[in-house]
Amino acid sequence: MTENTSETRAESDGGTTADPTNDEMVIETDVAGATDDRDSTATPDPIIRSRDLDVFYGEERALDSIDIDIPENRVTAIIGPSGCGKSTFLRCVNRMNDRIDSCRVTGELSLRGKNVYDDDVDPVALRRRVGMVFQEPNPFPKSIYDNVAYGLDIQDVEGDHDEIVEESLKRAALWDEVNHQLDSSGLELSGGQQQRLCIARAIAPDPEVLLMDEPASALDPVATSQVEDLIEELAEDYTVIIVTHNMQQAARISDKTAVFLTGGELVEFGDTEQIFENPEHQRVEDYITGKFG
Amino acid sequence: MSGDSLEEALTTRTANAPPELLSRSFFFVCAALSIATTIGLIVLLTTEAAKFFSFSAPLVGVTGETASVVEFLTGTNWGPTEGNFGVLSLVSATLMIMIGSSLLALPLGVGTAIYLSEYASPRLRGVLKPGLEILAGIPTVVYGFFAIIYITPALQPFVPGLGTFNILSACIVVGIMIIPMVASISEDAMSAVPESLRQAGYGMGATKFEVSTGIVVPASLSGIFSSFILALSRAIGETMAVTIAAGSTAQFLNVLNPAAYTERALPMTAAMVKLVGGDVTGGGVAYRSVFAIGITLFVITLAMNVISDLVAQHYREEY
Amino acid sequence: MATDTTTEVAGGFGQVSRTVGQLFRYLLLAATLFGLVFVTILLVYVANDAIQPLTADPGWHLTFFLALVVPTLAAGAYVYRRDGEAFQTGALAIGLAVVSLMFSGGAAMIFADIVEPLTFLAFLVAVAVPGVVTLAVVAYDDRIPFLGQFAVTVAAFYLSLFGVPGPLGAAAGISSVVPGVFGLLAGVPLAPAPWLLAVLSVGLPLAAVGGSLVARDRGRRARLFAGAGILAVPLAGGIVGPFVGVDPLPATVVASVGFVPPIVYAANVAINVPRERVALLIPVTIIVGALVGAFAVDLAGFAGPQSWVDWAFLTASHSNTAEDAGFYPAIGGSILLMVTVAVFAFPVGVGAAVYLEEYAPDNRFTRVVDVNISNLAGVPSVVYGLLGFGLFVTYLGQPDGTVLLGGLTLGLLILPIVIISAREAIRSVPEEQRAASYGMGATKWQTVKNVVLPRSFSGILTGTILALGRAIGETAPLIMIGAPNVTYSLPTSFSEAASAMPLQVYAWSSLYAGPNFYNKVVPAGVVVLVAVLLAMNSIAIVLRNKYQVGD
Repeated sequence: MTENTSETRAESDGGTTADPTNDEMVIETDVAGATDDRDSTATPDPIIRSRDLDVFYGEERALDSIDIDIPENRVTAIIGPSGCGKSTFLRCVNRMNDRIDSCRVTGELSLRGKNVYDDDVDPVALRRRVGMVFQEPNPFPKSIYDNVAYGLDIQDVEGDHDEIVEESLKRAALWDEVNHQLDSSGLELSGGQQQRLCIARAIAPDPEVLLMDEPASALDPVATSQVEDLIEELAEDYTVIIVTHNMQQAARISDKTAVFLTGGELVEFGDTEQIFENPEHQRVEDYITGKFG
Repeated sequence: MSGDSLEEALTTRTANAPPELLSRSFFFVCAALSIATTIGLIVLLTTEAAKFFSFSAPLVGVTGETASVVEFLTGTNWGPTEGNFGVLSLVSATLMIMIGSSLLALPLGVGTAIYLSEYASPRLRGVLKPGLEILAGIPTVVYGFFAIIYITPALQPFVPGLGTFNILSACIVVGIMIIPMVASISEDAMSAVPESLRQAGYGMGATKFEVSTGIVVPASLSGIFSSFILALSRAIGETMAVTIAAGSTAQFLNVLNPAAYTERALPMTAAMVKLVGGDVTGGGVAYRSVFAIGITLFVITLAMNVISDLVAQHYREEY
Repeated sequence: MATDTTTEVAGGFGQVSRTVGQLFRYLLLAATLFGLVFVTILLVYVANDAIQPLTADPGWHLTFFLALVVPTLAAGAYVYRRDGEAFQTGALAIGLAVVSLMFSGGAAMIFADIVEPLTFLAFLVAVAVPGVVTLAVVAYDDRIPFLGQFAVTVAAFYLSLFGVPGPLGAAAGISSVVPGVFGLLAGVPLAPAPWLLAVLSVGLPLAAVGGSLVARDRGRRARLFAGAGILAVPLAGGIVGPFVGVDPLPATVVASVGFVPPIVYAANVAINVPRERVALLIPVTIIVGALVGAFAVDLAGFAGPQSWVDWAFLTASHSNTAEDAGFYPAIGGSILLMVTVAVFAFPVGVGAAVYLEEYAPDNRFTRVVDVNISNLAGVPSVVYGLLGFGLFVTYLGQPDGTVLLGGLTLGLLILPIVIISAREAIRSVPEEQRAASYGMGATKWQTVKNVVLPRSFSGILTGTILALGRAIGETAPLIMIGAPNVTYSLPTSFSEAASAMPLQVYAWSSLYAGPNFYNKVVPAGVVVLVAVLLAMNSIAIVLRNKYQVGD
């Protein structure tokens, strides 16, 4: 498929129709059937839905016509070899890619039915509803309290900030460790604590979706398992999309798994169990069993 | 569910909220001010200089005494109070300052850069670099004073015919002043040479000396040249040191004659200070000649900065 | 290119190349040291001319050597051997004391001759009142729209500073109806003594900051006590001053600005950093040594050096006879110029840097601005002088050589330097920090305000101080705008003509050329000027080192 056609298609009608000639694209039938249909009984509503999502960095294609339906209040893991575009996809959801000048996105990605790439969507407003946790813990050089309250302050969230900060720290399983030192700098915490602080910061404004970009890759094993436990608990209230290069981690904590392979293709998407035990595609099986990647 | 309110939330424009607009416009105005400064400089210098030359003065509505542009650019006699406006005698003095100071500063500056980038331990560098910065931070008027009060008397026994005011000691202090500039820009260029190139040299069995002179210096040549040009432009624009040290008598001197460096002279910048500081009063033609010199100086230094930028870009693109 | 030299080596392997290498290395070292040594020698010469240490009795030198130099060296060596970091702390304490004393002199000058303490206090209160109003408004910001907040803030400041109807009314020909807070306080007929006002306006804020720093881990009461203790220093200055022959007002200011910061620093080390307490041995040795030395010299009747940099030089104005010539108006002029330059160049320079780093799209305009700034940095200062003169005097009809004119001209001159260094500082803020902020849904301004500027502040400050140093060392632009060579009193407002330190030095060395001025007055002026600049540059360098380590 040439770049030209994909672009014109996306521009002409918002790119809601899948390309039938793309035989490598697999959409889970049950999920595809449930799009936009809130009464569907089989699976939860998709909170995020992408159709024909292409991303280019300059001339280079990073994502190739992604169609995916991500269910609400579940942990969805995105795995794949490095350079497969999994982080790029994650950064499409809250439009962090907008910050890269050479980045161009076509197609549709909707949050609860609203295409976030519509002209009238403000990326800043979008990010207020979609929280993000990064690979390296990146607390601000402010107090623990101010770190968690950051989102509340900038978004003018109403209500008792003290209460929300406490609640968020409790949900991030950090309250017991820091409740006596809320005024000390967030940078004084250990790496694992910093990452949980960043999670508390991300959930404090009560976002619709929580994006996590390899959140445990910079942590030691103990901190990693703490963060993993936390993610599983968060899924009760939040939709979590987590990018990871660690397949065991994906298998442990996610309900759904999407496998991206080189070239920015989404090769397979389905229940985590099924992906890891009985993948439909030979390439996915090869990747999971470590034959390449 | 919350679909409608969510859509409403997502389409709330934050970029045009008053604090955003206000801060963005403030920052933009600040950045645009630099353009305004340049435009102001160019407009001011050209209109004021236009009043000075006889061919352009009628265009800006100035009647009265003017000077011929040909005489200005080719004349060798400078005496504004007598109506002599030959800028070449000023240019010759400026050129001599430039040449003399670069003879001192360029080799020393490059030597310093090589030492700092290739030889000095991090600890030593931590001492030397702030030292050089302080060298550059001493006011030029102090350097000018050093030149007449200490350097000239110290040189007089060795240099026959050296007067109280002379170009030689002005060259020395200007040279000292521009060493840090040559050193820091050249060192930046040398530090930008990839480590792999050095490793390749050492891998061939080269010594540190050979790697420095044979690999690092050639690879950072464009950066070094760019530092040279910037330093020369700085020497041309240097005012107080030369005003104090070189004296205030305009003479057309042979730039290449070493004996001429013992003479007193009036470089362009010093001529401007002298004109404003007391030579002439009011808005006569002599006064307006300041702007004619000013625009000449501005054009020369601007050209050199642009060239230096172009040369420097060359090396930035390489790695 | 590498092969050129390697083939050469093939001929004469071994020793030859090593000798050449060693020679080359020493040559380079010599080149590096040349300028430094050369200027150091010149500075020693000029200091010798200005201070004339050899005119003192040998007994004077011996006394101070024994009482001050030897114990200081011993204490320094002891601390250094015990703990290198403590040594640094001790050295920093001394440096801080020297720098604060220097600046306290400038501050005392401002309060004695330029701004009355009552005016300053009135100004502080007039700014603090609307400041509190603003904070209150911002705290309730979810109920008041931004434009409302903005209006309330502007109105509060306007009313507090100018009253009703203020300059707007004056422009329309209405006379003042209600004075603002500023007018009310500044016009109070019965005010306490000026030095008490200085204690309030200068000492109190410093004591508050110092108290909370020293007793930061010890609760509110301790902080209050510490603050009160620190406040005793300026009070003591005002009371003791008259007994040692200093007016109470300058004594108070010197005690506040000069003594409080080093005392707070030392107290902070003593209380909060027990590991480095030993560092305080160094300043204590120096102070005790100096006092003992002074006392002993006085007792034995040894005469000190006949320095030209003395109290009379610093407090007298220009005179045609070298013996009476002083530097006072020039120092004051430089201080006022520096304030003007800082007020103009700092916000504008930082604003431009923020725009270019955080906002600017990658387009033609941005590239033009970018190139333009680097070219402006290369324009000779004398041409800026022409710009200042032509723009402000010829076209805007401002009077020649005023503080405002000089400040704006020098501000334009250092603007490119401020912008370039501020951009570097902003660029060094880690990208993850920005990502974290934008990821939380922060707008550009929120990110700049909360993340970028706080993180880059010390870097920006370093660059600004270095640029300010450049500005107060400049002479040529001041000559071009017609600043007077000689003034006999301090300017009392920004629209008055003022001289400056470098300009005064130039005037002395050109207009009053002669052995008396060359060998005595000019060196003294040079020493003061260079000392101020060295102090500023070392603050900047210390700040930068701390900040780089902190990252």
